[in-house]
Amino acid sequence: MESSPTQEFEYLFKLLMIGDSGVGKSSLLLCFTSDSFEDLSPTIGVDFKVKYLTMEGKKLKLAIWDTAGQERFRTLTSSYYRGAQGIIMAYDVTRRETFTNLSEIWAKEIDLYSTNPECVKMLVGNKVDKESDRVVTKKEGIDFARECGCLFTECSAKTRANVQQCFEELVLKILDTPSLLAEGSKGNKKNIFKDKPSQSDATSSCC
Amino acid sequence: MEPHASSFVSKARTAFHSAAAKAERVLTDFKIDLDSDKQFHDDDFGMQRGDESARSENESKFRNELKHIKWRPPGIGTKQDWQDRINNIRKGRKEVEVTDKVGDVNVGSVPFYDENLYILNVKNDLDAKASEAIPTVEGLTAATKHPIPPSSVLKQLAIAIEAGRQTNSMKDFVASSPAREKAGLSISSVKALVLREKEDKLTSEFSSDEKVVYLINSLFDQEGEFLRRKINSDPEETSISSLPRDIHGAPPESLVVKLAEVIGNFKTLRGMSLFWSRVVDELRKHWSEEKHLLGVPPDDIPDLKSCLLYQQFQVINCCISRKRRHIIAIESLDSMVMEANSNTSDSANYMGRIPTSPLLYARLRTGELVLRLGADCPSGDLTLLETGEPAYSPVTQEGPLLTEDLIKETEEFVLRTGSVGAGCSQLLSDMQAFKAANPGCILEDFVRWYSPPDWMESEGSTEDRDSFYGGESMSSRGQLSLRMQKEGNLWRELWETSKSVPAVKQTPLYDEDLAVEGILDAFEDIQPSELYRQLFVSLLGLGFAIAETMLSGDIDTSKLFNDCKEYIVTTSQSDGFHEKVNELVQMYETVEKMLLNPDKALKMMKHMEESTMTTDEPKRRFSTGEPKHRFKRFSHIFGGKDKLLTPVRKDEVNDEEKQIRHSFSSFFDSKSSLFSKKPPKPGNLYPGEQPLSLERLDSYLDKVQFHPI
Repeated sequence: MESSPTQEFEYLFKLLMIGDSGVGKSSLLLCFTSDSFEDLSPTIGVDFKVKYLTMEGKKLKLAIWDTAGQERFRTLTSSYYRGAQGIIMAYDVTRRETFTNLSEIWAKEIDLYSTNPECVKMLVGNKVDKESDRVVTKKEGIDFARECGCLFTECSAKTRANVQQCFEELVLKILDTPSLLAEGSKGNKKNIFKDKPSQSDATSSCC
Repeated sequence: MEPHASSFVSKARTAFHSAAAKAERVLTDFKIDLDSDKQFHDDDFGMQRGDESARSENESKFRNELKHIKWRPPGIGTKQDWQDRINNIRKGRKEVEVTDKVGDVNVGSVPFYDENLYILNVKNDLDAKASEAIPTVEGLTAATKHPIPPSSVLKQLAIAIEAGRQTNSMKDFVASSPAREKAGLSISSVKALVLREKEDKLTSEFSSDEKVVYLINSLFDQEGEFLRRKINSDPEETSISSLPRDIHGAPPESLVVKLAEVIGNFKTLRGMSLFWSRVVDELRKHWSEEKHLLGVPPDDIPDLKSCLLYQQFQVINCCISRKRRHIIAIESLDSMVMEANSNTSDSANYMGRIPTSPLLYARLRTGELVLRLGADCPSGDLTLLETGEPAYSPVTQEGPLLTEDLIKETEEFVLRTGSVGAGCSQLLSDMQAFKAANPGCILEDFVRWYSPPDWMESEGSTEDRDSFYGGESMSSRGQLSLRMQKEGNLWRELWETSKSVPAVKQTPLYDEDLAVEGILDAFEDIQPSELYRQLFVSLLGLGFAIAETMLSGDIDTSKLFNDCKEYIVTTSQSDGFHEKVNELVQMYETVEKMLLNPDKALKMMKHMEESTMTTDEPKRRFSTGEPKHRFKRFSHIFGGKDKLLTPVRKDEVNDEEKQIRHSFSSFFDSKSSLFSKKPPKPGNLYPGEQPLSLERLDSYLDKVQFHPI
C-alpha cells in the first residue's frame, strides 16, 4: 500500500482539497498518505502527495493537491481545480465560520474554476475529536451536503477516525462514474502525467 | 460488379442534377442579398446555368465528363476566352451557350468554382487567384443579414482541419502549399523556380492587398460593428452562455468568432493561412502599441471553459492592462519618494509640519518617522503590535495568468520535481510589500493580516513572554497559533529573509512581456489543425447560440434543435472529434435549414431517421457475408465518403489503399448515408455537398474495379 516511485498503476486520478485555512486539510492528507498526525505549519500556496492503492481490482495512483486556504493564495490555487475528478471541501466543526464559508466562498470557487462537470465532491467535517467544542452539528453537515449534491463524512485527523474511509468513499464514487473513469485511464491521451515522478510523498521545499 | 456500377452512376447523375437545381435556387436567393459581391455570384451562377444545359447528356457522356474533370487536361481556353464566356452567360444569351457547347465539348465538364480557380492557376495567374479567393468586407457584412453564418463557412473550416492534420506548424503549412500545387501541375523544375518566385511575391502582396488590409482593419476596428449579429439573449441568457462553453468554444461576438467567420470565407487553404499570419502581425502591433483587442474582456483572467485561443487573447489584453497600471504605479511611487526627499531637505519647514495627506508615514518606537511605500488602504482596525500605528494593506503583485496549456505544464512540473516554489515566491513578495507599507512591523502583524485564523486573541496575560516581544503589551493581546509557532516554520524563515521592498519595485512574479511573446510565437507556429478546430467550434457555438433563441418558441423544431445541440455537445467533448467533424457540419446544416425552411428540415430529419434504421440491418448481416446485401454495404461505404473529402489529392497507391480501408471502417461509424434505400428526394439534399462527392464517387468506382473485394 505504501507509495513507490516505480509502482505500476492503471488509473491516475486528481484530487483537490479546499477549505478555510486551519481546518486541517494538510493533516487529513498526511493522515491518509502516511497514517500519522502532525500539527503542520500552514501550507504555502499548494502542496501535493501521491498515494497508490488498489480498489475494486484496479490499481490506482492518486495525485492529491493540498491548497492553502488564505485569500491571498486563491489566485494561485485556482488553477489546480482544472481537471480534478474529486474535490474535498473541508471545514472545522469547532469553527462555524469555516462551515459558512463553504457556501459563501468555496462552492463558488468550484463553479468558477472546475472544468469537470461530473467531478465528485465530498464535504468533510474535521476535528470531531473536540466534541466539547463542536459548534456545527452533523445534521447541518448532512443537510448542506444534500443541498450541494455531494458526499458527506466527519472525521478527525488527530485520532485518524474515519480518514481512510473518507478518501476511499470519494475514490469509489469516482470509479462508479464512467466519464471520470475514462479520464483517469492511462490510455487517455489527455492524461499527460509522467509515470515516474522523481519522488512521491514530496514534502514542501523552498523556492 | 458492372451492373452495380452502372446503377451507382445513374443514381449519382440523378443526385447531381437535383443538387444543381437546388443550388441554383439557393444561389438565386443569395444573389438578392449579396449584390455587392456580384462577380462571385455571377461566376458561380453561370456555372450552374451552363451545367443545366447538359442534363440531356446520356450516361456514357456523363462518365466521360467526370474523367475530364479528374484528369484536368491542359490547354483549356485562355483567360480572355473564359472572361468572354462568363460575360456572355451573365447576359443570358442562350444561343451563345449553345455555340459554346458545340465549340468546346468541355464546357459542361467544369461545373465547380474551384475548377475555375484551378484553370486560372494553370495559366500562372496567381495574382488573379489570390484576388478572387479573398473575401470582401462588404460581402461578409452582407452575410450578417442571415440569421446564422452560412454552413459553407463552417465547411471550409472543416476542410482546413482535415488538411492541416498532417502539418505540425502553420509556417510549414504555408510553405508546403505551393509544393502540392506544383506536384499537381507537373511543371518542369525551371518553371517551378519561376513559380516559387511568384509565390514569394504573392505572399508579400497578400499582406498589402487592399481587401486584406480592409478586412484586418474591420476585424480589429475599435467600434466593433463588423460582423455583429442580433442575438436576443435577454430572456435566454443562461442557456445562451452555456453552449459555447460546453463545447469549449468562444463567447458570441468575441474576436475569435469573428475571426472564424472571416477565415472560413476564404476559398483557399493558402489564403486562410496567410490571413492568419496577417492577424498575428496585427496582434503584435496591438501589443507593442498597448492597444486592447476588441471583442475580448480587457482585464479578465483566462476563462478555462473557453477555447485556448480565446484564453490567450484574454492574456494579451490583461497584460496590456497590467503594464499600464504598473507604469502608473511606478510613477506614483517615484513622485512620492521625490516629494518626501524634498520635504526632508527643507529642515526648517519640516520641523513644524505634520505629515501631509498624500504622504503616509509610520512612526517607529524610537519616534522616527518613516515613509510608507506601496501602502494601499488601512487594514480594518488592525494596528501594529510594537508601534501602535495603523496597519496598512500593501499593494501586492498580481498573480500569474495561466492558460490551460500552462496550467497543465505547471502541474506536470510540480508533480515531476516536487517543487512548490510558486507559493513561496508569492508569500515572500507579499511579506516584502507588507514590510514596506508598515515600517516597524513584526511577523505577528503580517500573520494577523494574511492569515487571521493563525492569530489567537487572548483576554488577559496568562503567560509570561520573553522581553523580546515587548513584554506587557504583547502578551496581553495574543499569540501565534501553535502550528505557526512550530520550530522550522517556513513562514518565519521567509519573514526573516524578506526585505522592505514595495511590490512595484520587486522582481516580477509574472513577466507580462515574456508571457505575451510566448503566446505570439505560439500563434505563428500553431498547428493548423489545432487553430482551425478552435475556429470551427467557436463558429459552431455561435450558430447554435443564435438559433436557440430563434427556435425556442416552436415546439417541433425546438425538439429537433435540442437533439442536434445535445449531439454537438457530446461530440465536442469526446476524444474522437476529428472523425466527426463532417457530422457536426451536417448538424449545423440541419439547424440552418430549420431557420430558413422549417418544414423541409423536419421532413429531412424523418428521412435521416429512416436512413439510420437502414444502417442497423446491414451491420448485423455484414458478418454473414451474404451477397444479397452487398448493395447496402456499398450504400454505407459511399455514405462514409464524406470523411474522405479533402482538397489535396493523393495519387499514391498506398494512400488509395488507406482510403479504401477508411471507407470500410466508416461503414460502421457513419450515421449518414449518401444513398438510402429509397431514391433521394430533391428537398433532402445538401446542395453544396453532392457535387464535391461526385469526383470521389468516380474515383472510388475506379478503385472498386481495380481492387475487387
